Amino acid sequence: MVPYTDLFIWWAASISSSSVFLTLVSIYLYIDSRARRMEGSRAAASTSNVGKSFIFVWVLLGLLFFYIFSIQIGSIGIFAAGNIVAEAILILYLMRYRKSRQI
Amino acid sequence: MIGISVVLGFYNEYKAEKIVESLRRNVSIKAVVTRDGKSYQTDSKLLVPGDIVSLYVGDIVPADMRIVECKELQTNEATFTGEAFPVEKSSERLDVQHPMPQQLKNYLFMGTVVVHGSGRGVTISTGRNTEFGVISMSLTRSHPETEFQRGVKKYGSMLLTLTLALTIGIFSLNAAVGHPLVDSLLFSLAVAVGLVPELMPAIVTISLAQGASRMSKVQVIVKRLVSIEDFGNMDVLCTDKTGTLTEGRILLKDYSSLGDDKDPRILSYSLLCNTAVVNERIVGNPMDIAIWEYAAKNGIHENADFTKVDEIPFDYQRRMMSVIVKKGVERILITKGAPESVFERCRYAEAGGKIESINTVLNSINDKFLNLSKLGYRILAVGYRFADVKTSYSTEDETDLTLLGFLIFTDPPKEEAHQAVIKLKKMGVDVKILTGDNEIVAGKICEDLKVPVKRVVCGSDLIQMSWTEIKTAVEETTIFARITPEQKLDIIKALKANGHVVGFMGDGVNDAPALYEADVGLSVDTAVDVAKEAADIVLLEKNLLVLADGIGEGRKIFGNTIKYILMGTSSNFGNMFSAAAASVFLPFLPMLPMQILFMNLLYDVANMTLPTDNVDEEYTEWPKRWDIGFVRKYTLFFGPFSSLYDFLTYGIMLFVFSASAPLFQSGWFVESFWTEVLVIFVIMTRRVPFFTSRPGKWLTLLTLSCVAFGTILPFTFLGGFLGFTALPTEYWLLLVLMVATYLLLVDAGKVFFYRICRF
Repeated sequence: MVPYTDLFIWWAASISSSSVFLTLVSIYLYIDSRARRMEGSRAAASTSNVGKSFIFVWVLLGLLFFYIFSIQIGSIGIFAAGNIVAEAILILYLMRYRKSRQI
Repeated sequence: MIGISVVLGFYNEYKAEKIVESLRRNVSIKAVVTRDGKSYQTDSKLLVPGDIVSLYVGDIVPADMRIVECKELQTNEATFTGEAFPVEKSSERLDVQHPMPQQLKNYLFMGTVVVHGSGRGVTISTGRNTEFGVISMSLTRSHPETEFQRGVKKYGSMLLTLTLALTIGIFSLNAAVGHPLVDSLLFSLAVAVGLVPELMPAIVTISLAQGASRMSKVQVIVKRLVSIEDFGNMDVLCTDKTGTLTEGRILLKDYSSLGDDKDPRILSYSLLCNTAVVNERIVGNPMDIAIWEYAAKNGIHENADFTKVDEIPFDYQRRMMSVIVKKGVERILITKGAPESVFERCRYAEAGGKIESINTVLNSINDKFLNLSKLGYRILAVGYRFADVKTSYSTEDETDLTLLGFLIFTDPPKEEAHQAVIKLKKMGVDVKILTGDNEIVAGKICEDLKVPVKRVVCGSDLIQMSWTEIKTAVEETTIFARITPEQKLDIIKALKANGHVVGFMGDGVNDAPALYEADVGLSVDTAVDVAKEAADIVLLEKNLLVLADGIGEGRKIFGNTIKYILMGTSSNFGNMFSAAAASVFLPFLPMLPMQILFMNLLYDVANMTLPTDNVDEEYTEWPKRWDIGFVRKYTLFFGPFSSLYDFLTYGIMLFVFSASAPLFQSGWFVESFWTEVLVIFVIMTRRVPFFTSRPGKWLTLLTLSCVAFGTILPFTFLGGFLGFTALPTEYWLLLVLMVATYLLLVDAGKVFFYRICRF
């Protein structure tokens, strides 16, 4: 029998709250920076640009659901595989970012 | 803390004493005073207002005094007003309202030097009541806080608020859910200690000391360590002109005929009509010295064919001098002096070997003279005539002269000043000139140095301005001319009030208050003692290019200090936040207070070599500011990343490994320590991916050693003593993957964060 099962809901709430908090902070920072740039003549960001800016949030939220799921089923293999996939996505994103910056 | 306060207090007192002592040394002089009809020498300290003092060449003026009589009196006020050329004095009444010190031709300032003539003055004020004394008194107050110190203070307040809130919150929550009160208190206190970057004073001090040592290798001496960071972050450099941007001495730039040719007689006649004494050294009037120096540099010697017969000395009515020389039977009267005065005595003008009436060419001669004056040059005119043979000559012989040409004098800009100004501009440092000299000369220097002049403001304009107007003016102005030491101070204060980090560079007595007030006071080794004492940084070499090196060093130090603050605050905040949350729902403490403190200690050890770390080149390209808002945003943004992975570890420990309290605490200790320490490599650079930036070798070595130590700790005796237990092999596999994902996610977060938060 797995002990601490009664704590699972507490744990899931905690890890979700930290992710939600981070997402809210990101939205706040984004809106704050947009407001500061309002005086400039910058056109409103397109949806795809906003999407790209928040890519780490999408990865984060994806990871959150994956982490909760894999820990609930207690599978070390799935947990390891999921992490490797996330790392590959992040490395690709970071390398592409570097390349576009160099251009 | 008490000990540190005592040491700092003593140091400040000692420094203030040294400044006063240096001022005393400067003014400990004798004076010839006339009292009750008797003249005798006395110590200047014994002078009282009303005393009549006699002054001769070489005397240092012992008090502020009104001139009652004088003969050809000239003083050097360069250290006081910034005016490089000797100032002619007179006893005449002035008809000027609110005169600037430079306009007080009938006034002598304590500490200035008589370079020509003699005079008598009535003492108006002595000691601390003199202009010099007012400056000295302003230096005995405590040093104003630097921008960096203000930033640290704000950071301390932020941290205190955060720590208090978390401590009270954690204690209350733990107590509310039924944990023992003493355990709850100890845990909340340990969390509070964990939040405090206790190594910060050490990191800052080591960074500053190492920076000062590196800067000394490029001949920059840092007297006040705390000013280094502001040196790097300064975005406005106000500089005095004379002796800093310019050589601070008069040079004969060139000589010019009235036409297009260049008659060599202008120079050879000037060497004859000259009062300088040439031995091993050339002594005398600075302009006469400059003529000799120019001749020596160009291999020109005094014409031995001529013999000096007589001399008509300089006086202030004529503003010229003449000599009569003979060559064989021929006698020539040569006159050199103020152009306006020489023109009046000329009947002819010679250009290209052609002599014509001066009246026909007077307009073009005047134009030439005015154009040269507008370029900031000091001009002397040279004329001559063939003279009759007689035993003595007088001023009456100075008529019907033939105007030959002009001597063009300048206080030249330093060779490297132009390059230095360009380099500073590239580094985001705006250069402003604050000088007691006139606006034309200052404008010429800007032109020579290719500094674009946005606006020129004179001291007399500043007097009329309100504080708000001054604050606006300082933003738009490049040259502040004819300003007093107090006005220099006001300009520095206004720039600081506008949010700039202000550096001030000067070398004269008049610069001392501004040097003291600026965030960074810079002086040169050849400056007067008072200026050097008031400065934070002294350049041993006159080469201004070392300024740029120093700024780069300051930026590196600031960069490493900020790294520590950002890493420490965000990681600790994240860890402590997750510890606080876990302590509420877990049946045991997520980490024992001793374990928290040990992790904190180990983390600090890992950071010990941070002062030696590399800083990306792009980081040092532009001045940075201490922005507490940025630190707050950074903490709020990057802290939760760490919390997220702490919670993930809790989940793995509880639901995958069904961990007991020691196993849980061991697992979280290792994960927390790995993430907290390894994230240094991600956060230390803005580059993405982070591994494109190379960390310092000592930082890498120590950090990885600490990680290794933290990893094996649970398996050791010490680990057992601290309450840790060995971790299962599978956990290490998960940990490696988890930490790798964490580091990459933070790196991706950096892309977002730096796109929207500028620093």
